[in-house]
Amino acid sequence: MSDKKTLGEMLTERGVSRRTFLKYASYTASIMALPPTAATAIAQGIANARRQSVIWLSFQECTGCTESITRAHSPSIEDLIFDFISLDYHHTLMNASGHAAEAAREAAMKENAGEYIVVVDGSVPLKDDGIYSTIAGITNLQMLEETCKDAFAVIAVGSCATFGGIPAANPNPTGAVAISDIITDKPIINISGCPPIPEAMTGVISYLLSFGSIPELDHLGRPKAFFGEAIHDRCYRRPFYERGMFAKSFDDEGARQGWCLFEVGCKGPVTYNACATLKWNGGVSFPIQSGHGCLGCSEPNFWDMGGFYKPLSTAKGDPLKWAGGAVVAGAAIGAASAAIARNKRNKVLKEGK
Amino acid sequence: MPRDSAAPCLSERATGMALSVLTEILQMLEALSESGKAGSIDLRSLPLSDADRMELEEVLGRGEVQAQLDLAGESEVWETTYPGVWWIRHKGAGGKIATEEISVCRIPEILMTHPVDIEVAAARLKQELETTDV
Repeated sequence: MSDKKTLGEMLTERGVSRRTFLKYASYTASIMALPPTAATAIAQGIANARRQSVIWLSFQECTGCTESITRAHSPSIEDLIFDFISLDYHHTLMNASGHAAEAAREAAMKENAGEYIVVVDGSVPLKDDGIYSTIAGITNLQMLEETCKDAFAVIAVGSCATFGGIPAANPNPTGAVAISDIITDKPIINISGCPPIPEAMTGVISYLLSFGSIPELDHLGRPKAFFGEAIHDRCYRRPFYERGMFAKSFDDEGARQGWCLFEVGCKGPVTYNACATLKWNGGVSFPIQSGHGCLGCSEPNFWDMGGFYKPLSTAKGDPLKWAGGAVVAGAAIGAASAAIARNKRNKVLKEGK
Repeated sequence: MPRDSAAPCLSERATGMALSVLTEILQMLEALSESGKAGSIDLRSLPLSDADRMELEEVLGRGEVQAQLDLAGESEVWETTYPGVWWIRHKGAGGKIATEEISVCRIPEILMTHPVDIEVAAARLKQELETTDV
């Protein structure tokens, strides 16, 4: 449950100094693309905040999002987030189970009405009255609506919760939809990705704690700090793209030389995420650095974008022309697919109710 | 940072970014000197190659003050050979750099003791004196 003391009071009692707050705040400012001078305000904001009650709901998902946020590193600055929140309900991580687990969720909702944050991973099935995924005898739809009713904000993590993801891939047998298709009266922050970058999840929660408001979002409801630039824009292989030097297959000379992977299906030009800058596994690497094109996992309908190894454009001619066209076409495809997805979801929603 | 030999990155090449950062530092240093206004540059937000970073570190060098901090992982703070220009490096999981900034100021805030910590320290020492025979 949320503690009535401020985080500053609570952690001071445990011997955590304000310098540690400031270090965490510097880290948060950096990953949220805020100026370093914002660190003082963030540190003060976190110190004055109460421990944030978080209810984490997992629906049609693979637990990859939880794996991402709880990545197994030694205790460090990145893990302080777990001192700042009270994770009152999470199927995979909580000790309680069965009735006791549901009682914890209900108690957290009652005690923190209007103040708790709901984090959701996984899509929600609507077909056949939502029977394809149930927890504690109720459908995911019922649990979502019931839990979000008194929430302060909802954070949809992972591409399943944000856009329907793999469960919603063609032919979408369960009628899976995104959280934003159901919850329309609460602020929703979408942190897409399969899974999302852990810093994107912790950074957003820290921002909410510090400023009590929602960070700036893009047209898909994603924080611009992490989704403001395409992978391609910050890719270290971009100089090869600019020079028209492309790998033609995964074992040719171009691939060995680390040339651009556009022609072997990289979706970097139309994918907005921070993989190229924050990277993965504590900043070790990201897919393109490991020799594989971007799958576009943080974009709507990534599973149905026409094949992971198929170039964005199939036009013949100068690769640079292809690429330029692909960026434009890709953006159009992205916009169109989002509209199609929304129409599809709306249709399913109508049929489901 | 480990390097994948199948996918060489361009980190060995200097891009000229170090010069841009140094120019910005000069402007901040002049502002600090004239008006006392402090400034910071988040190095992680810039597309610096390893060579750029090394170049920047070499030009600025290490000056009179160096501090190591033990705060949820290690941190290093040093004043460069240009007084008023501080390099702050925070490390996170596995000793990797979590954030890194250049701070142009009289003394970085991270080195100053927060009033709350002073208050807690006074209370703790008082309790120590009351309960022990010193």
